[in-house]
Amino acid sequence: MDRAFKRRLEGRFAERLTGPVRQRHDETEIRIAAADVTDTLRTLHDDPAFGFEFLSDLAGVDTGTYMQVVYHLWSDTTSDWLRVIADGLSREDPRVPSVTFLWKGAEWMEREAYDMFGITFEGNRDLRRIYMPPDYTSFPLRKDFYLADDSARSPGAGVRHMERVHDPRNSTPGNTLRRARA
Amino acid sequence: MTTPTPTASEHRSTDDPRITLDEGVGVFEPIPPYPPRTEREAEFYTLGDGEMFINMGPQHPSTHGVLRVVLKLDGEKVVDLDPVLGYLHRGVEKLCENADYHQTISQVDPLEYISSLFCEWAPVTAYEKLLDVEVPRRAEYIRVLSGELNRISSHALFMGWFALDLGGLTPILWSFIERDEIVEMLAALTGQRMLFNYFRIGGVNGDLNHEFLSRLGDWMSRAVGQVEANTKLLNENEIFVRRASGLGVVDQETAIRLCMTGANLRATGIPFDLRRTHPYSIYPELEFDIPTRSEGDSLARYLLRMEEVKQSLRIIDQCLDKMPDGPIMAKLPRLLRPRPGRAWAAVEGPRGVYGAYAISDGTDQPFRLKIHDPSFIHLQAVGALLPGNLLADTMAIMASLDPVMGGVDK
Repeated sequence: MDRAFKRRLEGRFAERLTGPVRQRHDETEIRIAAADVTDTLRTLHDDPAFGFEFLSDLAGVDTGTYMQVVYHLWSDTTSDWLRVIADGLSREDPRVPSVTFLWKGAEWMEREAYDMFGITFEGNRDLRRIYMPPDYTSFPLRKDFYLADDSARSPGAGVRHMERVHDPRNSTPGNTLRRARA
Repeated sequence: MTTPTPTASEHRSTDDPRITLDEGVGVFEPIPPYPPRTEREAEFYTLGDGEMFINMGPQHPSTHGVLRVVLKLDGEKVVDLDPVLGYLHRGVEKLCENADYHQTISQVDPLEYISSLFCEWAPVTAYEKLLDVEVPRRAEYIRVLSGELNRISSHALFMGWFALDLGGLTPILWSFIERDEIVEMLAALTGQRMLFNYFRIGGVNGDLNHEFLSRLGDWMSRAVGQVEANTKLLNENEIFVRRASGLGVVDQETAIRLCMTGANLRATGIPFDLRRTHPYSIYPELEFDIPTRSEGDSLARYLLRMEEVKQSLRIIDQCLDKMPDGPIMAKLPRLLRPRPGRAWAAVEGPRGVYGAYAISDGTDQPFRLKIHDPSFIHLQAVGALLPGNLLADTMAIMASLDPVMGGVDK
């Protein structure tokens, strides 16, 4: 854990953080709003005091109540991994700015997150499905997409159809989704 | 019996034997039968003057798996390309969300079927962080030992494949001798030749046994000589060296922007190796170098991997030397319910950084498990490296980046 790094983050991004800076093992975690993604990541990337030039991973997360986009960054200015969570995207229409202007390699990671969660990355020039066929309409990693044999968790306690079109009107009633404080 | 003649308006499936078609069905027609979804797709599927499409795969022998690439050619020059993924997509991340923590290890195994141990290592480490469990030192040593063996077998296969894609048949036969020896060794240790399913949360599945150690001892006594002999096949082969040098050059800045890792990044001169830059397991206690090169071409990537094999042999030597006694598993309950939380772990594999991001919601199944696979990133980099090269170099460049389709498609 790099305590000094936590103070530097709090000093620099104080007004943008939507939650406390959390540290555990060799990870430091900050939370920001989706609208601040461009500025925050550009500062982290460009400012030599941070120097986060390596984007290690970009992941979409469906917490059951809202969506997140999670960035894992690496820099030689700290011994910690930095996790930036763009928090609180709506499940109906998740939107977040693309980071392809900093890392061209994020393009496919964003395509994957779009394919699996339906998160729209504004500014990605090639946001189309990457794994699933083009005529596919579901977003498989969303929590309201049930596997056929996942009868224990499905609200009807029976087998459901594999593909569900994501539509707030026919999505599962809120209280049956698996949720986490993520 | 009369066969009904199909009319134009009649809708039939394409596998109906009675169907008569005016045109070929063209399952793998390069131009997709739907309107472009993005600007980039529209731009790619519009032909310029004198350009043509060539569809490569998904059954092409040198795509290292089930990959389809649509190439846009001008004469013999590649203008642009569009990799089409998903033929091997199994939805591993979704399956992991519906399996308990121990079961996910066997789910992520087949992602990276050339070096399975590294694909297990990342999620297992992430779970250990979630559980705050300390892995016994002997288990860590066994992990590093088996991991480095796996790295050598993966690089051996890379050497053979790379030469094969450049048109040389002999090296793959030679490299399979070494690979087979290592695979048999690991089979004695783990019980499997390919998908080891060996690492456990809090340790490993079995202790070192006599067969493994005697095979390893045998092999180590001649390994250095064998590696020298194998690399001599290619390193001093003028056709190979002149063909591979200057091919698919990538500079430092581009490599970082493309998120490349592993030997592909180190070939540009950046000494980024998680075993040293972000130490994990027992790597800080071991002596080894991080070789780098500055050329950033296919030859540099090949030479680096061969250099890494020698470093791995050094690590194995030290592991055998320092192997401590003790338990190989931490004391943990059968059913794991980590406290709600998040953990990210990354390890340096033969292809680059393998990462895992695990979220726990307090139940016995991970709420979300994101696997980061370097092959996925490196296949994307092909799109930046290839344009301007000849069609015949396509596979050489792709092979030098060493992607494995099992990891790309998840």
